[in-house]
Amino acid sequence: MKALIKKEFFLCLHPTEYIYLLFAALILVPNYPYELIFFFSGLSVFCASLSARENGDLAFTCSLPVKKRDVPLARIAVTVIFQCALLALTAVCIAVKQTIFPEGLRINLVGNSANLAFCGFGALVLGAFNLTFFPLYYRDPNKVGVPFLISSAVQFVLIGLLILLRHLPFAAPIASPDPADVGAKLAVLLAGLTLSCIMNVLAARLSMKAFEKVDL
Amino acid sequence: MYALKVESLKKVYPQFTLDGVSFSVEAGQIAGLIGRNGAGKSTTLKSIMRLISSEGTVNVFGKDFSREEGAVKELIGYVGGGFRFYPNKSLSAVAKATEGFYPHWDGEAFGRYCEAYTLVLSKKVRELSEGMKIKFSLALALSHGAKLLLLDEPTSGLDPLSREDFCDTLLFLKKQGVTVLFSTHITSDLMRVADQILYLSGGALLLDEPLETLLGRYRIGRFSSPEAARAAGAIGVKEVKNGFEGLVTSPEGREATLDEIMIHLEWTRRPYEGAH
Repeated sequence: MKALIKKEFFLCLHPTEYIYLLFAALILVPNYPYELIFFFSGLSVFCASLSARENGDLAFTCSLPVKKRDVPLARIAVTVIFQCALLALTAVCIAVKQTIFPEGLRINLVGNSANLAFCGFGALVLGAFNLTFFPLYYRDPNKVGVPFLISSAVQFVLIGLLILLRHLPFAAPIASPDPADVGAKLAVLLAGLTLSCIMNVLAARLSMKAFEKVDL
Repeated sequence: MYALKVESLKKVYPQFTLDGVSFSVEAGQIAGLIGRNGAGKSTTLKSIMRLISSEGTVNVFGKDFSREEGAVKELIGYVGGGFRFYPNKSLSAVAKATEGFYPHWDGEAFGRYCEAYTLVLSKKVRELSEGMKIKFSLALALSHGAKLLLLDEPTSGLDPLSREDFCDTLLFLKKQGVTVLFSTHITSDLMRVADQILYLSGGALLLDEPLETLLGRYRIGRFSSPEAARAAGAIGVKEVKNGFEGLVTSPEGREATLDEIMIHLEWTRRPYEGAH
């Protein structure tokens, strides 16, 4: 697995995977649908998958001394590493925003506010992307567009629901600036991270199973 | 001892079926896989490597491929035609990523092969000619101590001198105990190095025997008419310039080449033997 992950970094990464990490800085833009940051992460996975197809990456990798089912696992692991980095950078930007921005600019009028709970939402959106994109992609790695369209649609529906959530009375604590209602926000963060972990494990299992049957 | 034992390999496509192919290759032997385009040579090699999902079992040096996939692949050097991967990466980047997978990677041997094949490691894959891509694939496959080489048409893009070098390399590797299974259309290469011939036709294994036995069994008979050919027991009779030719098992006739045996055996599978 170590060699597979190393190979992903040496041969497979697409520049957008690094570039879109910088989009975490969008948190510093006042009144912006910050959830879109996580859509860009999906876009970089799409670019990397297109690049893998054009480079014949899967056929090459499967000829190396690895189990065929480990190949999707390595790709998903690298994606999750980048997504963790994105979440970490987002958290840093949130901390910066909460420290230096006046309170009026810390509340988001067009979506969820950038606070602790938002990182939980981010994890959820990223996990949902992985769960829809990877199992579909590894069923037929020559078709990258359809899995991306479906997973993006799922992401946008989820983002819409999360934005709606902000307007529900019981969810008011998670829209407040930090450090208010920190208990509720931590609960949302933990729930988001836990659900994301479960979705990633499921994504990996389904992808590995699907890829076993693929003809390269 | 068998280096490779394949049993009941089956892959069904809408237009083609690899139909329960079984064969084995003894350790230290060079086996040639021949057959016309679409006969199932690449499908067989890809099925062995599990690049495509197919039925059947594959054993490499007594290890079951499906149970010990990683360990078995360590014993194999696979070259699927030219190197079609990562066109924008340098050869050194590809080699560096590859060596991490092989505990027995021999960097010095890789350097020697690159030198022998005049491969410049700073070049990008897309800058290589088709022949050089095959050489790069070979250099990678030969540098990790593979005990079994599976090569899918490795010489098809090579010039005659490079093919000669390739055949010399195979004979050298054979002396080191390496087993080779390679598919090719260039039967003169097989005449030079192969011990065993596997002949695929329409997804089925038509022949599996030592090269010498095969060449010793058939001769080319020349006849004035199809009737005369049939009367002499010739098979795969086809019209040629100024007459008819077919395979005969009697001592009459001239020596047959592998190409001719393949062509006439293929002819026996046509609905109207001898017809165009």
